Amino acid sequence: MLSFFARRVGESLALILGVLVLVFFLVRLTGDPVGLMLPKEAPPEQRAAFAAEMGLDRPLPVQFAAYMTGVARGDFGESLRQRRPTLEIVAERLPATFELALAALAFALLVAVPLGLAGGMRPGTWVDVLARGVGLAGQTVPNFWLGMLFIVWFAVGLGWFPAFGRDDLSSIVLPAVALGFAGMGQLIRLTRSAVLEVRRSDFVRTAQAKGIAGTRVSLKHVLPNVAIPIVSVLGIQFTYLLGGSVYIEVVFAWPGLGTLLETAIRDTDFPLVQAITIFLSFFAISIHLLTDLAYGLIDPRLRAA
Amino acid sequence: MLRLRILPALLALAAVLVPTSVAQAQDELVVSLSSDPTSLFMPRTSDRTASNAAWSLFDSLVWIDDDGNLVPALATDWTISEDGTEYVFELREGVTFHNGETFDAESVVATWETGSDESNDYASAYSAADSVEAIDAYTVRITTPEPNAIFLTTIANNWAMVPPDYIREVGLDAFAQDPVGTGPFRFVSRTPGDRIVMEANPDYWADGLPRVDRLVYRVIPDGSTRLAAIRTGDVDVANRLTPDQVTALEGAEDVEVVQYLNDRVYYVGFKNMGAGEGTPIEDRRVRLALNYGLDRFGINQAIFSGQANAAPGFVVEGNLGYDADTMQPFPYDPDRARALLAEAGYPDGFEISMGCPADGYVNINEVCQAIASSLGQIGVDVEVDFQTTNAYWSEPNYAVTGPMYVDSWSSEFGEAIPRLDGALTPGNYYNTWEDERIANLIQEIQREVDRDARAELYGEMHELMREDPPFIYLYQPVIFEAVDADLEGYQPRAAEEYFLRSVGFAD
Amino acid sequence: MTRPTTPPDAGAPTAADAHAGEGLFSPRRLGRELLRSPAGLLGAALVLLVAAAAIFAPWVAPYAPSEADFLSARIPPAWNPEGSAAHLLGTDQLGQDLFSRIVYGARVSLLVGVFGVTLSLTIGVTLGLLAGYFGGRIDSVITAFTNLLLSVPYLVLVIVIATILGRSLVNVILLFGVTSSPVFIRVTRGQVLRLKQLAYVEAARGLGASSGRIIPRHLLPNLVGPLATLATFEMSAMIFYEAGLGFLGLSVPPEVPSWGNMLSLGRRFLTTEPWMAIFPGLAIAVTTLGINLVGDWLRDAIDPRAGEG
Repeated sequence: MLSFFARRVGESLALILGVLVLVFFLVRLTGDPVGLMLPKEAPPEQRAAFAAEMGLDRPLPVQFAAYMTGVARGDFGESLRQRRPTLEIVAERLPATFELALAALAFALLVAVPLGLAGGMRPGTWVDVLARGVGLAGQTVPNFWLGMLFIVWFAVGLGWFPAFGRDDLSSIVLPAVALGFAGMGQLIRLTRSAVLEVRRSDFVRTAQAKGIAGTRVSLKHVLPNVAIPIVSVLGIQFTYLLGGSVYIEVVFAWPGLGTLLETAIRDTDFPLVQAITIFLSFFAISIHLLTDLAYGLIDPRLRAA
Repeated sequence: MLRLRILPALLALAAVLVPTSVAQAQDELVVSLSSDPTSLFMPRTSDRTASNAAWSLFDSLVWIDDDGNLVPALATDWTISEDGTEYVFELREGVTFHNGETFDAESVVATWETGSDESNDYASAYSAADSVEAIDAYTVRITTPEPNAIFLTTIANNWAMVPPDYIREVGLDAFAQDPVGTGPFRFVSRTPGDRIVMEANPDYWADGLPRVDRLVYRVIPDGSTRLAAIRTGDVDVANRLTPDQVTALEGAEDVEVVQYLNDRVYYVGFKNMGAGEGTPIEDRRVRLALNYGLDRFGINQAIFSGQANAAPGFVVEGNLGYDADTMQPFPYDPDRARALLAEAGYPDGFEISMGCPADGYVNINEVCQAIASSLGQIGVDVEVDFQTTNAYWSEPNYAVTGPMYVDSWSSEFGEAIPRLDGALTPGNYYNTWEDERIANLIQEIQREVDRDARAELYGEMHELMREDPPFIYLYQPVIFEAVDADLEGYQPRAAEEYFLRSVGFAD
Repeated sequence: MTRPTTPPDAGAPTAADAHAGEGLFSPRRLGRELLRSPAGLLGAALVLLVAAAAIFAPWVAPYAPSEADFLSARIPPAWNPEGSAAHLLGTDQLGQDLFSRIVYGARVSLLVGVFGVTLSLTIGVTLGLLAGYFGGRIDSVITAFTNLLLSVPYLVLVIVIATILGRSLVNVILLFGVTSSPVFIRVTRGQVLRLKQLAYVEAARGLGASSGRIIPRHLLPNLVGPLATLATFEMSAMIFYEAGLGFLGLSVPPEVPSWGNMLSLGRRFLTTEPWMAIFPGLAIAVTTLGINLVGDWLRDAIDPRAGEG
């Protein structure tokens, strides 16, 4: 048991190390920041001074070593553009992105679970057709396109919601629904198949044979069994939402990590792109690890695998 | 069936969350920003958007008024020595920074010292001065290495006065986070990527200013979102819109469209070095042919709804030395272009590659395609090479492009000198064309302190760059903005600068 | 955008575990199955429609995709009172016919989908087989590579690499081919590990059959089912992501009529001429819907147990 945990944690640490290396070199291939950062008129001496100040004139291995020692101390470097620690910048933007991703997840669950349950309990009926249709729509409609349509209809057209930004509660509705739409589709399909699976199993049949009414069967017997697969994908869903928020944040001018990443890439702000990518990867790796560890606790067979 | 009611319930919930669109208090001004300012510390404001926001907090010694005249600001008077290298400023007394610190000669010295640190984006604006000394508490002497035609303008545009004690106490990084100046507004808070909030400085030295109590900048990078925001009334100023976007505002009651000529020239650059060596464009007649053979008027009509000026050269409308009578754009004359090509030995035209910074400017992708199709008419087969902006501007001398490339250059001085110097002085980062006559004339302009004499020299430069053009001149864009119809005193300038201290709402 | 989950369950035995899989994938059987599934039929019809549009674009589209006519710029769709019968879906700001561009745009999307998936499939099956069949060090290296690529959030990885590669169709295909390969590696490896333990494969190995014989005869046929399903879902994902990259200005060059580029441009006119953004998005939705329906049907046909009832 302990060795399973130790191994999984070790693997995750190795992955994090790998991500650090991968991201460092990938990001350095995206362009040379000196030309982009400085005003067009900047003379060559100033360009050289800037490169020296930012450590960009050193050989790549030296830069890499400096970067890794910094990381070991919890220092992810300074943003070239903003001249501030990148961690500080990421931390400032984090709440907005988390808030958006959580709201999207909440929306997805609120729609998906009831609809998936209803569809699964009455396969073939119009409810089921609706569930399958909405589930499919969730997987085929591009979220940024949906976001644009929302702005046209609900913000500019009807004036129900603000067209951009993070303001009061109403400002999160459109971006959260657009972002959560795809996850909603998946969750509907997942819930529905889980319900079908459970219904095929014996104890539900027994309950039905005993004449327990349909709704009570669904609540008492099906729900707990459906909850497990849903809960188990929530962590992963959440990390997907964090990635997908890039587009939605751009469409809605939402001040989170997505808009930050977009400008950092355009600016070739290496340290900032690195910090964002690494942070999101850390997060994804940790979620995977926690999910695995939780499974390990629940299902001893997995530990042997 | 119970669960099915959740959907309508959700919709009802959404309806409850509908914003009660709060009537905006008349004394709060909301201005959109097209990018999140990198810093509010002036030497590190990497773009116009950032410096515009920063100027609400700061003042300089001198100020350029709406008519382009240099007028007193924190300096009440100044004298310039005979040889044009020494400036003595008398400072305004009784001015305090937002934190209570007194503004005096030491503040000017400190401003120059912190600004000229080489790692600053705009260090060069400060290193234009050799020394800055306090003669007494309210007098400073500034010297320049050589006569500098645009020194006072440089000061007005860049030298935002900062409080030395406060900076010493908190450091530059903290200062950039919580900036303190003498300006019309005081910094209140900033949410990165989202907004910057400021409030009126009650002790502002200019009487009756600012005219609003509160100023909020909202970051909205996307033009169509800015357009939506002005339509919904969420902002009072939506800047950087395209001509076709503003047509959508026709008939909108509470919105007024503001438009002005931008001091920016778009051009196709040639290289007589690197990728350009040994190509047809080295021949003067070919470059003339390309200028005559490009239908810049048609392109303007098609892509900018006719709302841009065909550029006569690098000296354009609004610049010192511009003369509408003598400076006209190349006429569209495809026959003459073909004749010139034939004369140069290319009767059937030639093939050439032209770099284009994809999405780097408004409509630039379409402009590049239109150039290729227009030059195709005179037999020149232009292959458009779209590059990401990262690649495009990150190498010196546009190393990633072929013999031709598309770009633009702005100026904030009311004079063409920054773009002339940047693009045509050998050794500069974005220089791709070496012509000794032009380079010498640039130096002469830079040293000529007399305005009228400079205007003459710009005329000479125009002629020179017309007879032997180092560029295909394209157009000078018109900037479109949309503002709340009740707004008064909003006067953006040709370099996309605007100052909010005298902006208010009509009663 | 959320990455569609990878449906095949690498551990469970499937109906596809036949000796050489004959019968299960016979066109006749699949044809029969398809006729029984209205959703599958619809999906196949949509995919055929889009593919036909792409292949026969010059005949289907009334205009050349880049044929600009500035006098008829920004015309609304034909059914709008201000629309024109000459332009069914209206025109963009250069006066290019939207319907024609959407038809040609199908080429880009399908090229990216088909070649991207082919590339990922090739990389995935090769590395997955190597890892699963030979195990040992080779397995560790491949698995580490797979896990590494999978731990960087997919969209972030794609955006960073797209910035490096620059804008061209080949680069976009390479990008998706490589970044999507880990999923294929993982599924292939899982299947191979499972199949290796099956009695007949063990028997074949025991009888001294070479890997050159076992792999094509016993392993590959059994991989077809799960990989075919995965491939359809990945294809629709790539079409999605290509549009997303185009939207951010990181996909094919701007002059190429692709749905992503059209969306990126249409977004500028969103509040004024919304049709410029609506139709390309609709094209993406219809295409991915078709592919997903086919994928669902294929999964059910191959593994009825995993079906959705």
